[in-house]
Amino acid sequence: MKPRPISGGSLREAELPAVTGLARPAAGEARSETPLAQGLRRLRRSTTALVGVAIVLALIVVAIFADVLAPQSPIASDQTHTFERPSWDYPLGTDQLGRDMLSRVIHGSRISLLVGVSSVLLALFVGVPFGMIAGYYGGRTDTVIMRLMDLVLAFPIYLLAIILMVMFAPTAGLIGTIKVTGAIAIVRIPIYARLVRGSVLSIKEKEYIEACRALGVRDPWIIFRHVLPNCLAPIIVTTTLGIATSIIVEATLSFLGLGTQPPTPSWGWDLKANLAFIQDNAWLSLFPGLAIFVTVLGFNLFGDGLRDALDPRLK
Amino acid sequence: MRVYILRRLVQIVPTVLGITFVVFLMMRSIPGDPVVALLGDSYTQEDAVKAREVYGLNQPILVQYLIWLGKLLQGDWGASILTGRPVLQDVLVRLPVTLELIVLSMGVALVIAIPAAIIGALRQNTWADYTATTVAMIGVSIPEFFLGVLLLLAFSIGLGGVLPSSGWVYLPGTCPMMVCGVSLWGNMQHVLMPAFALGVGRAAILTRLLRASMLEVIRTEYVTTARAKGVTELKVVLKHALKNALIPTVTVMGLQVGFLIGGAIVVETLFAMPGLGTFGIDAIIARDYQQVQGFALLTAFAFVVINLVVDLSYTFLDPRIRYG
Repeated sequence: MKPRPISGGSLREAELPAVTGLARPAAGEARSETPLAQGLRRLRRSTTALVGVAIVLALIVVAIFADVLAPQSPIASDQTHTFERPSWDYPLGTDQLGRDMLSRVIHGSRISLLVGVSSVLLALFVGVPFGMIAGYYGGRTDTVIMRLMDLVLAFPIYLLAIILMVMFAPTAGLIGTIKVTGAIAIVRIPIYARLVRGSVLSIKEKEYIEACRALGVRDPWIIFRHVLPNCLAPIIVTTTLGIATSIIVEATLSFLGLGTQPPTPSWGWDLKANLAFIQDNAWLSLFPGLAIFVTVLGFNLFGDGLRDALDPRLK
Repeated sequence: MRVYILRRLVQIVPTVLGITFVVFLMMRSIPGDPVVALLGDSYTQEDAVKAREVYGLNQPILVQYLIWLGKLLQGDWGASILTGRPVLQDVLVRLPVTLELIVLSMGVALVIAIPAAIIGALRQNTWADYTATTVAMIGVSIPEFFLGVLLLLAFSIGLGGVLPSSGWVYLPGTCPMMVCGVSLWGNMQHVLMPAFALGVGRAAILTRLLRASMLEVIRTEYVTTARAKGVTELKVVLKHALKNALIPTVTVMGLQVGFLIGGAIVVETLFAMPGLGTFGIDAIIARDYQQVQGFALLTAFAFVVINLVVDLSYTFLDPRIRYG
């Protein structure tokens, strides 16, 4: 697509999507097909992406209606039914405390999804503004922000996440979940900051931004109305794939005993706790592991499809 | 070139200092202190004060860091607060285990990724390509500890337990102590599953990336020219296409090594290996400040050096890239 000449000089025209695919569809403006609609149409044609969307939607339903769907309480132990093999009464068997594995797997989806999505959103809300400011203003601001980000990036991510979790002291329940979310978000902020900074660097040189400046539009307005919408496509793609990564990191922290603590059901923790009985009761570790795998696969397929649909050049 | 390497080597220093200092600050901001764990049941206020003095924990944090740094420059990595053993000695015992694990899993990754990517790119949109991309997708989505569990089930519990589920036997020539189990076959048995568990995820990432850049390179004019000249297909693929397609892959490999260091913590925990990963996480959880510092120092150093090697390898892959 060729850059549009800003001939009319109207602000509306300056807002037209220039290069990077997705732009905010302007309300009330007649247009044959917005880039967003184009992207959605491409997304619908991809079978693998649809499989991903289906998995993700199913998981969201399971997480929301966990209380209704789970046949039993995920934390109620029953000493008379420990280590039951999968049966009609206990489709996925029971663990050493006689807790129903199916109910635990169903409830475990809450922690996984909640931490996966909210940690990425949190990282986004901090990382994107940092990246925009660094890219837009450049100079010393840029240097200070990006060196800070480099310092975080210089850590192997598990090492940093582990130390942060030990600092936060892992606990159960909502507070425990917030701690894990925070730790993962901190680790992932620089990724978004770098990504956005890169896009902003190229967008800020475009004619329409120059036109805005010439018209005396103020910086915050330019950044949020003109720069941000034009770097949304890579942000959306990285976000979806980032959720998959965050879910793995959450499961890994739980596996190491540093995630949300029991009795809150968590897939990583269940997998680790039941490893001791793997010799005779392999399914106890298998099902939570499978749940993690399917969830991550769903977000990866969805993210891959989104990338192909929104920004074919990234393929 | 020499100037460039020298400049990069000098730049390693502030990065390593930065990482070790941040870890230092973070460890000391964890509530509670290791003296409590050290004294255990016999904890008294007086003993605690004395112990803090012995380990210099009563000094301001910056002073503590400078003391650690000063000793380090004299080759003294400090001693574990809990066991009293010198950190350097512990680290050296565990280093070969993790080093072997990381090198082998990178090997596993490359051995899988390069052929898979070449087949995928050359036979784009055939069943071979679909198989390669599907397997890569599964590989990206499977956490290494779950893959490890599957391997354990298959080879340690099923199949009559061909491979041991935990422990370690050193590779001949890597045992740093007087006494340790050394055998090539035993070592292979112990390292196979962990290396595979850690390597498959990396293989999947590299396959996807390398396939994409191969697809791009294979359509360039110089590949067409090479074919037109009558260069054999094998040579076109390996020398003209693969070598150029490897550049973005090598960048990602460098980043993946950072991930491997973290992944080693997980895999070593699962397979109960006496490596740096288990050393690191045990030290962090026990808040053994000196051990954590040693672990952070080594990790940071490895990370920085590997990134330098990655940057230098560009000049080999693409002689047009010059550092002046």
